[in-house]
Amino acid sequence: MKLLIIEDEQALRDNITNYFNEDGNICESCSCLAVAITKLSNYDYDCVLLDIGLPDGDGFAILEYLKTQMKNEAVLIISARNSLDNKLKGLNIGADDYLTKPFHLAELKARVVAIYRRKAFNSNNKLVFNEIVINLLGRTVDVNQTPVILTRKEYDMLLYFIANKGKVISKNAIAEHLWGDEMDMHNNFDFIYTHIKNLRKKLLDAKCNDYLSSIYGIGYKFKAE
Amino acid sequence: MKLWAHYNKASTIITISVLFAGALIYFFAINYIAQQQLNRDLTEEFEEVEDYVKLNGQLPKQVDFDEDQTTFTKTSQTSLKTRYFDAPYCDPKEKKTEAGRAIRSLISLKGQHYITTITISRKGTEYLIQIIGAITLALMVGLLVILFITNRYILNGLWRPFYDTLNAIKTFNISDSNPFHLKSDKVDEFNELNKVVETMSLRVKNDYVNLKHFTENASHEMLTPLAVITAKLDTLIQDETLKPEQFEQINDIYSAAGKLSRLNQSLLLLVKIENNLVDDAEELNLDGLINQKTRQFSELAQSKDILVSARLEEKQIKASKYLIDILLNNLFSNAIRHNTQNGRLIITQTADKLVFQNTGAEKPLDAGTLFERFQKGQKSEGTGLGLTIVKNICNLYHWDISYSYELPMHTFTISF
Repeated sequence: MKLLIIEDEQALRDNITNYFNEDGNICESCSCLAVAITKLSNYDYDCVLLDIGLPDGDGFAILEYLKTQMKNEAVLIISARNSLDNKLKGLNIGADDYLTKPFHLAELKARVVAIYRRKAFNSNNKLVFNEIVINLLGRTVDVNQTPVILTRKEYDMLLYFIANKGKVISKNAIAEHLWGDEMDMHNNFDFIYTHIKNLRKKLLDAKCNDYLSSIYGIGYKFKAE
Repeated sequence: MKLWAHYNKASTIITISVLFAGALIYFFAINYIAQQQLNRDLTEEFEEVEDYVKLNGQLPKQVDFDEDQTTFTKTSQTSLKTRYFDAPYCDPKEKKTEAGRAIRSLISLKGQHYITTITISRKGTEYLIQIIGAITLALMVGLLVILFITNRYILNGLWRPFYDTLNAIKTFNISDSNPFHLKSDKVDEFNELNKVVETMSLRVKNDYVNLKHFTENASHEMLTPLAVITAKLDTLIQDETLKPEQFEQINDIYSAAGKLSRLNQSLLLLVKIENNLVDDAEELNLDGLINQKTRQFSELAQSKDILVSARLEEKQIKASKYLIDILLNNLFSNAIRHNTQNGRLIITQTADKLVFQNTGAEKPLDAGTLFERFQKGQKSEGTGLGLTIVKNICNLYHWDISYSYELPMHTFTISF
């Protein structure tokens, strides 16, 4: 997957680039509108991560540029502005998703992967990870050709883990992904533990490899191999 | 007491006392003038009598002065000071006594002195005084009535712009984006008042807007550093050579960053509600939404073995789904978070009310400050803005929210 990260905060840009790079993706980044447009006119990307507030202008200009140039890049907006207007405005003029700062890198990755899947594999609705086959349309999971019945949360969690395979994901990130920040779980992570325990048990019961491991009480990791 | 009534009271007292004093002075003045006139008349009469006596050498007969009553009494006195005095007057035609005025003086005829007394009727002047008195009284009453009516109606009309301004100030809403405008008037003082009030409201509004912008900008500016903190932490935990203690520290930073982020979002949301920026109202099925939330929160409720029961009637509301979501989230999470183990949560939805009742700490919360910003229990993990947001959402849709406590239930009631 080839990514362009347009973000003016250097620390954030570097972290996003690092996080995405390790997975065999190609990441390019820039910090302003002018460079971004030059890059977009010279190369094709699979996905663009776009910050709305840039030093030399509004990030919406990128969306308009892509639209007028008939380019097919998927766009995910990262913005400190979480007002409803911005959200609607962004999605109406061609952004595929919207993420409000602050966000977890795992969440960003999961969203980008989801957008990429939607854009790239329109015909193929299957996600294959070793012995795990996920039918994205029917939301069903097969392990070694045996169907595994997962609850909605377990299914969401599995997709989330696979998108972030090989990474340690904090419990906070998982909680926010599953319940949203509005639910406000107040650092009560027992629920996550229960869901992960159930998911792991179901996968193991279907003779799946044990990919899930707990990392020192901070989070979980889904092994990449 | 209304302004016109105050004015009426003062003007009535002043008018009556001035008129009364005036009438007294008037009465005495007229009386005095009338008396002077009578005295002059009497002097003239007396001179006539004197002339007659000199001319004719004898005392006049009664018939010559039939209007007056003249008496002559012989006296041995040689001098008598001329004196005027009130005396009864006998009307010869009607044969009755009435008030009169008399002069007494000395006339000498052929060496003989006579005390001469001439009495004339005062009826004419008394009548005049009565008429003048009656007219004065009528004027007084008329003036009072007119003053009363004037004060009541004209004064009210005159002060109309003042009451308009007062009403406009009463309905003044600081978060209303429309400029505060007052009608101009013919009266300079009111125009000046209006101008001052307008300037003041403008300044207040500007300050308010600035404050809101500051809150919004500050909150936004904090989001990027927060995003950096979160991203750095997400990257940091990838390093599996870290020690468990270090992971523990990281966990605490995660929690703090998460809390800060929630606080920020709450503040931004408050600004948004107060600025009336959420205008995506739609028809919503409230009971459906509550059912959905009950399911969403069932895990959280189960973790404390809370018995959740809902009795919902069908209810349509017109509101923003986004805000109602937040409203219900806050009510649910409060009712569960502050609940006791094995507690209860009862949700009742009728056509005009939504009631959340939950068990919890066995003492009432302070209803006065409950909905204020950053009011939270000592053990609360929340931002302290949850109920403020609930209240603001209710205000936005003109609903009323109240809190009551009746052992063992804490009750929040939203009246539509």
